[in-house]
Parts: sequence; C-alpha cells; structure tokens
Amino acid sequence: MEYLGEWTAVAWAGRALIALGFGSALIATAAFLRKDERLGKWAFAVHGVSIFSSIALIFLLFASHRYEFNYIWKHLSDAMPMRFILSAFWGGQEGGFLLWMFWHIVLAAFVLRKPSVWTAPVMAVLSGIEAFLTSMLLGVYFGDFQLGLDPFILLRELPENLGLPWTQRADYLSAFPLFADGQGLNPLLQNYWMTIHPPTLFLGFAAVSLPFAFAVAGMQHRSDRSWIRPALRWSVFAMGTLGTGILMGGAWAYEALSFGGFWAWDPVENSSLVPWLVTVAGAHLLVINRQKQVPTGLFSTVYFPILAFLLVLYSTFLTKSGILGDTSVHSFVDSGILPQLLAYVLTFTTLGHVMLVASVRVRWIFAGLATVAVAAMVKGWAAEGMWGLFAVWTGAAVFAYRRDFRGSDAEDALWSRDFWMFVGSLLLLLSAIHITWQTSIPVFNKLLAPFSSGFQALGEATGSDTLRALARHDLAPGTDFEMTYHRVQVPLAVLIMLLVGMTQWLRFKSTPDPSKIFKRLGIHAAIAAGVTGLFLISETVAWWEAPRVALLFAAVFAAVASVDYLRAIGRAGWATWGSPVAHLGFALVIFGAVFSTSRKDVISKNVIGDLTTLSEELNNREDLLMLQGDTLPLGPYFASYRDKVTEGIHVRFQVDYFERVPKTYSKGDVVFYEGMVFEAREAHTASENFEADMERFWSFMPFPNERQASAAVRWESGAPGPFLFTLEPRIQLNEQMGNAPEPDTRHGIFQDLYTHIKWGRVTPPETDAEGWMGGASDVVVPGDSILAGKILLVLDSLRPIRDEERPERGLLDRDVALVACFTLKDRARTGKAEPLYIVRDSLLIPDLYEPEGWGVRMRVDAFDPATEAVTLSLWEHESVRRDFIVMQAVVFPQINVLWLGCMLMAIGTGLAVAGRWKRERPRA
Amino acid sequence: MRRSHILLLLLVAGIAGTFIATFTTATRSVGFAEAAGAPGTEFKISGTLVREEPVLYAPEVDPSTTRFTMRDKTGGLCKVVLAKAKPTGLENSESIDLYGTMRGDEFHASEMLMKCPSKYNEQNHVLLEDGTAEAPR
Repeated sequence: MEYLGEWTAVAWAGRALIALGFGSALIATAAFLRKDERLGKWAFAVHGVSIFSSIALIFLLFASHRYEFNYIWKHLSDAMPMRFILSAFWGGQEGGFLLWMFWHIVLAAFVLRKPSVWTAPVMAVLSGIEAFLTSMLLGVYFGDFQLGLDPFILLRELPENLGLPWTQRADYLSAFPLFADGQGLNPLLQNYWMTIHPPTLFLGFAAVSLPFAFAVAGMQHRSDRSWIRPALRWSVFAMGTLGTGILMGGAWAYEALSFGGFWAWDPVENSSLVPWLVTVAGAHLLVINRQKQVPTGLFSTVYFPILAFLLVLYSTFLTKSGILGDTSVHSFVDSGILPQLLAYVLTFTTLGHVMLVASVRVRWIFAGLATVAVAAMVKGWAAEGMWGLFAVWTGAAVFAYRRDFRGSDAEDALWSRDFWMFVGSLLLLLSAIHITWQTSIPVFNKLLAPFSSGFQALGEATGSDTLRALARHDLAPGTDFEMTYHRVQVPLAVLIMLLVGMTQWLRFKSTPDPSKIFKRLGIHAAIAAGVTGLFLISETVAWWEAPRVALLFAAVFAAVASVDYLRAIGRAGWATWGSPVAHLGFALVIFGAVFSTSRKDVISKNVIGDLTTLSEELNNREDLLMLQGDTLPLGPYFASYRDKVTEGIHVRFQVDYFERVPKTYSKGDVVFYEGMVFEAREAHTASENFEADMERFWSFMPFPNERQASAAVRWESGAPGPFLFTLEPRIQLNEQMGNAPEPDTRHGIFQDLYTHIKWGRVTPPETDAEGWMGGASDVVVPGDSILAGKILLVLDSLRPIRDEERPERGLLDRDVALVACFTLKDRARTGKAEPLYIVRDSLLIPDLYEPEGWGVRMRVDAFDPATEAVTLSLWEHESVRRDFIVMQAVVFPQINVLWLGCMLMAIGTGLAVAGRWKRERPRA
Repeated sequence: MRRSHILLLLLVAGIAGTFIATFTTATRSVGFAEAAGAPGTEFKISGTLVREEPVLYAPEVDPSTTRFTMRDKTGGLCKVVLAKAKPTGLENSESIDLYGTMRGDEFHASEMLMKCPSKYNEQNHVLLEDGTAEAPR
C-alpha cells in the first residue's frame, strides 16, 4: 500500500547503509585477520562511509521533522529548540550506538595513519567490534526474535502497531493530529550537558578498546613488545577522555538534578567509573614496561587493558539490557537486545582470555569449552552456563599465567617506582572490583538461583544467616548506600593517595638513596598533618569519621608531594608536567569530594522530637516549609519565599536571602523552644540553631513558674539583616516523566549554597466564581483532625442539638439534628465551628456552615452512628490561602576544590598525551 | 616467598574481602509479611503504589513525611510512612523500592527509589485505534 507523505526512500536507504556497514565490517575483520591490509582498509572505509551516511540521514530526518519515523517522533517535537538537536540524536539507544561507532571509526582512522606491524591485528579487533556494534542496529526480525534495533523504523511498522486500524489508512499522517508533532525530547535532557556529556563519555569508551586491541595483537606476536608504546598512548588518552566524561556527569547531576550531590553510586555511574579505574591501573602498568628489556609483571600489563575493555562491555550490558531493571528502579532500558549485548560481552571476554594463552591449539580447546557453556545457556541453563564460562575464563588465565608468563618475569627492586606503581594498580583494581560486586548484586541473584538448595542446606547446617540469604537469592544493596561503598573505598583510597604521593618521588628500576626521598616525603607528611590538624580543630569530627580524616590527610599529602615534584622537575619542559599536574588534580578531586560531602550541612533541617533527652527518637527532617512572605532562619541566613514565575515549561520560585544578625542573650533570659522553656546560664550570642547552644548556655526548666512562663519569648537565632541575593530553584513541567525539580546554587569561593524544591504548587488552584476552592470530603471521628490550608480543624465531639439552639439555626421542631463540634486552630488563634447534620422527614438537609472570619466553609454530608464517623466537605477561600513551598538547602563547603581538581586532571592528562606524542615523533 | 606471590595472595584476599563486605551488608528483598516477622530489621521491599488509596502529604503539618499504601510483589498491602517530602512522580511510578523497617503495622521507610515510566520505553504511549494516544497507566 502506498502511504502518503512518507519518506520511505530514506528508510530503505538508511537500512541498506546499515546492512552495508555490517557487511563491510565483517569483510574488514576477515581481511585484517588474513593480513590483507589493502582489502581491509577499503572495507573499513566503506564501513565508515556507510555509518557516517546513516548518521547524516538521521540528522536530515530530524531537521525535516519527519514524524513518521519512530526515532524522530520519540525524540523531537516542533516546540523543541533546534540547539538540542544533538541531544535528541543520542537521546535514544539507537543514536547512542551510532555515536559510539562514529568515535570508533574516527579513532581507527588515527590507527591507520601510522602503519606498523600492529596495524593488521589491531584493525582486525576494531573491525570485529564495529561488526558487533553495527549488528545492534540491523533491525532484522527472524520470526519473533529481533536482531538489533532499527533506527529507521516507521511508527506504523512497530510490532505493537502492526495491524491497527489507522495503519490501514494511506493518509494517516495528515489525518491524525498525533503525527503532526512528536513527543519531544524529555525536558530533563534539554540542556547543554546532554550535548557534551554523552559524546565525551562515548569517546572515552571507544578509546578503551584500543589498548585492548593492542594487547590482543601483542598476544599474537609475543616476541615483539613494541605494542606497549601505542597501547600506553591510547590508555592515557582514554584515561583523560573517559575521566572527563564521568566528571561531566557528576557536574551535570550537581547543577541540574535534585538528588543533592554529584555522585550517587548509581549503577550507571559505577559502571563507567569501574573501566576508568582499570584503565588508569593498566596505563601505569604499561608505563612500567614501556622500556624494559626484561618485563616485570607482564601478565598484569597485558591483562589490565583487556579487562578494562571487557568492563566497558559489561557496563553496556548492565545498563542497556534491562537486567537491572527488574530489581533496580533506575530507569533501565529493556529494548529487547539483551541476548545480543550478552553475546557481545561473552564473545570478547572469551576472546580476551583465550588470547592470553600462547599455544594456538590450547586456545581452540578453551574456545571450544566456552562454546559448550554458551550452548548450555542457550538451552536454558543460563546460570550454570555462566558459571561454566567463568571457569573457562579463569582456567585460560591461570593456564596462560603459569605456562606462558612466569619465566619471563624479573623482579623490581623494593624501592622502585615500578614496584609501587604495580601495588597501586592492584589497589585500583580492588576498588573497581568492590564497586562491581555492589553494582552486580541483581546479576548475582540470577546466578545464585541454581545453587539455592545447596546454600539452604549449608545455611541450616551452620546456622549462618548469610548462607541462608544466599539461598534465597533475593539480595539487594544495603540501605545506606553511601556507607556500604565508603566502608571499603575510603581505606583503599587512603592507600592509593599515599602511593600517589610517594611513588612519584621514587625512581624507575631503583632509587639510589631512598632515605633522602623519605626525608622529603616526611616534610610533605608534616604539612599534610598540619592541614589535617587545622581541620580537626575547626570542625567537630566524630570518632567514627577517622577513615575520612585519614583520607583527607592522604589527599593533602599526595597534593603537596605532587606540587613539590612538579617544582623539582618542571624545568625539564612542559612535556613532563602532565603527570604531576594530573596527580595533583586527582588528589584535589578526592579532597574536595570527601570534604564537601562529609561536611555538607543541610541547613533546612528542622528537628522534631524530645529535646530534653536527645533520645533516639529525634528525627531530623531535612525540608523546610516556607509560606509566601514569611522570613525564616536558614543556617547562616534568613530566607523568604517571595513569589513564583512561570516561564514556558519552567516554574521559578524566587527565594530571597538576608544576612543573619545574631541575637545576644543575657544571663537569666527565658525562652520557648519546641514547646519547652529554657533559661540562659550566661550571656552569649546565639548560633544558627538552638541545638548547638543548648548544652552550653541553656538550662531546661521543667516546671517554670507563672512569672517565668509569661516572660518567655520564642527563641530566635537572630533577625534578618541586609538583603544578600536571590536564588530561584525551579520545577520543570514534564508531562512524560513527571515534574522535575532543578536546583539553583549560589557558588561561592569557599562553599556552595545548593537549594532545591521538594514540593511546590505549579498550577493555580481552581476556584469558583466567588473565590472558593476545595470541596474535597474527609471522613473523621471525634479526635481526628483535618487540614484546610493553614487551618487545623479538630472534631472534638458530637452532640444532639439543644432545643434553645433550634430557632437561631433555622430548624423546625421535627428536624433531627446533630452538632459536630470542631475546634479551629491556626498559627495565631483558636476558634470554634459547629456545622449541623440535619435530617428532615428522612431527607438530609445540606447545611453550608461558614465560621466567621476564617475563610472556610464546611458541610456535613453523612453520619454513621455506629462508628461516629462524620463525612465533611471543606472549602477554602483563596484570600486566606497562602502559597508555600517545601525546600531543601545544603551548604557544600570547599566544593570548588573538587572542580579545580577535575580541571587539573583533564589538563594534566592532556599535557601527558601531548608530551608523549611530542617525544615519540621522529625528530626532523 | 617471592614478592609477587605475596602481592598475589594479598590481592586474592582483597577480592574475597570485598566480596564478603558486599554480601554481609546486603539487605534482603522481601515482602511485607516477612518484614513484619522481624520488626526493627532493615529490609528492602519492592512493589507498586496502590492508586486507589490516597497519598497523604501535608507539608503544613510536616514537610518531611509522606504516607501511602503499597502492594508488594506477593500482593500484600501495607501502609507506608516515608521520612521524606513527597517524591515527584510518585503517582506515575511504575514500581517502588523501599528501604526501611516495619514498626507496628506500618512500614517506616528511610529511603525510596522509584521507577518512572522509562524514557526509553518503546511502549511509552499506546497508540489507539483512532490515532490518538493514551499515556500508560
């Protein structure tokens, strides 16, 4: 059937190009494997052109607003500003894969530019990767089984839409308003971060594949270790780009999302951090072996770059397959490509491990065993098959280590850079592994399933709770996310930071006079101890924060040692500055992160509970209710919610901040706080909150006498002083995802004030012609209370009407009436309300009751004598309703150290890459 | 022993240690009935919001408490008291993960994660016969 207005030609061209890209990638792989570089280059060029053209076609479709295409319809709308077209392009899985392939092709071009003995094997691996990635976009159906997504699929071709009546109409595009506009990009993604973060991140991911390719190539020709140099270059490049991408993600979260920080140990974040850690570790190992005649730790040097890439694939699998989706509520995709992603991970993991073995015959044996395990998985024994694969991979690695790597190793001197960098790499690996365990708990649940009965038996035999929990395979990460990660990561980070400081000062091979170095390091440590001491004096630190304090010390030590080292070698030229600058940056990142998160102050916290005993029941509520116009104390400020402004899809809440002019209390002053009376023991200036002063300055008075009780005033921290600034946290109206709060932060040199809305009214309430709104019903029994705006209504009791009241309420003698006695309370006053429930001749007479001066109306709609339950409808008048917001405000001290560190890391890595390139260029 | 062997041993010990650290702090994902059986112990409960029951959030009274009713994976219903302001999108959530303890006949949650309608979900909108679209429930 011929449909009107569809660009089917583009759809067919696009699909053909992707198919061509797939085919040419396969040919390139085969050609490079057979060392036919000429054919390989041509095939890869065809692949590159096909993919670039597909990308161009999709941009064309976006620019032309072709909503008949599923991908365009889902990510574009007429209202969306065109500057977000890039964000829209990679807003979905299909675009993400294309972006990834784009970078691989670009990087491969750089590899091809420098022909060497390694070109063919490296390009074979890269082409193989490209083939797998392209297959994710083939969009071919084999019956029910879907091979890949189809970026060019039309809406009417989607499986869920096939056969629907509207697809039978040739003019459906113009006939139905649904197709005149698209859904539009999720407003949460319509910002500049979405334009820069994904490409940087994907460039990093693509870059990690190159050291992998070189390592695998190196395993093919073991006598030649010159693959290490280019592998190192690409490792450092990957370190820089991937690291920058990850930090951009953190900055994005901090700037625009409202979970109150820059890192949440969320699976998506973790699965990008883990390959980065292993890449860093791998890069350091490559440096160790760059120029050695006799390598040390060669196995690790080969394995780490391989592992880093495999972790990228695992990360892709975790986040794009939806496997976490069932057990984790982070929105993960389930687009049906789980089997393919799994195939991708398993194939390359098997390849990477099998290639460690030198003997070709043994490689094939391991590959065969792996195939058997995969066959078991396909047959339905998924968990058993996976364990089988684990066994194969471990077996190959151990076999290779013992047979092919042991003899070649020499040992490094104890006080050499080589040795301690090696130790450092192992620590980074441990850190990565711990994060992987935590993030993979849902995957473990699936893997543990077949062993349930075994664990159950063991658990019962030993009485171990842990074993029984393993038997039930329904584990979830610990409640206190941060604590479960920090417990292990902080001590590891302490060790790593100490090594960062110390190892830079050691020499390669061996340090001739270590004691001189240690004296110098001692000075660095003393400075760090001084800074730490200052910290301990100026802040209240709990005993259980000792690991954090240790980390602060270690980070300062590393920073000082790096700066001193830069000073010492800086004269040798800018090419050498990269490493110390990057290490300094890393140390500052750690310092800034630990300091700002551990010392963050939720100044909107208000305490509810029994202060006299400071018991466990004390609940810290983190959110502040701000009525429009009221000025409230907020940490070091006074804040007032002024007004809200709606602009397009954003509602901005204007909050003004004033300086706090502290109040001075004299000895003997009596105050109220949380309903309790206190007397000042000595004169003092009030701090920001009562709890800080309570122990030192105030005595609790459980039995105040008449004079004291009447003299007591409400405790205040001070009064609002001069106006300082305005912050405008916003709510983004988002029909797709629900309204999203966006923070507004005041950036200072030494701290940030981060504020965001927890609750705010975004649409004006509906009122009738006279300004009354509400009308909702509540069921209450005597003792219950209801809220109408700011007024609390408490139903005290129910009583039959007294005869003397009948005339004034307009009742007839035969009416049966019940009086519902309510007490009304707001901040300032208390009053009474007595609506009636009237039955006349067995009919309910509605009685609309309006107590004088409160701006509420009530009506009793029903009464149940058995339960004494009254159904009440309530209205409020808009004149008494005040708008309000619920806001959370957090002070992050010294967070700028974190961002400074990020920049230095990026600059340092850039210098290192440029410096290495300069050094290895053939001199003219 | 060679230094490299010592390191290898330490590495393996470290890997085992982190594994144990992970699994001893893991909570169990259970239903309300089981959580009720061990009041005071922290659990994770997955489920969905019961939309027929009201979500109560009265910021004027207490800005940091939200009450609602949830159905767990086994179908059990329970009242939930969450020590946070009402999360945006609660009514639209596809599923909820709660972390907390059972107290009395209410589950007191300190932490909550929600799964919002996935931005990548192909079936985000159901295209109806007449070409209009209906948002997923």
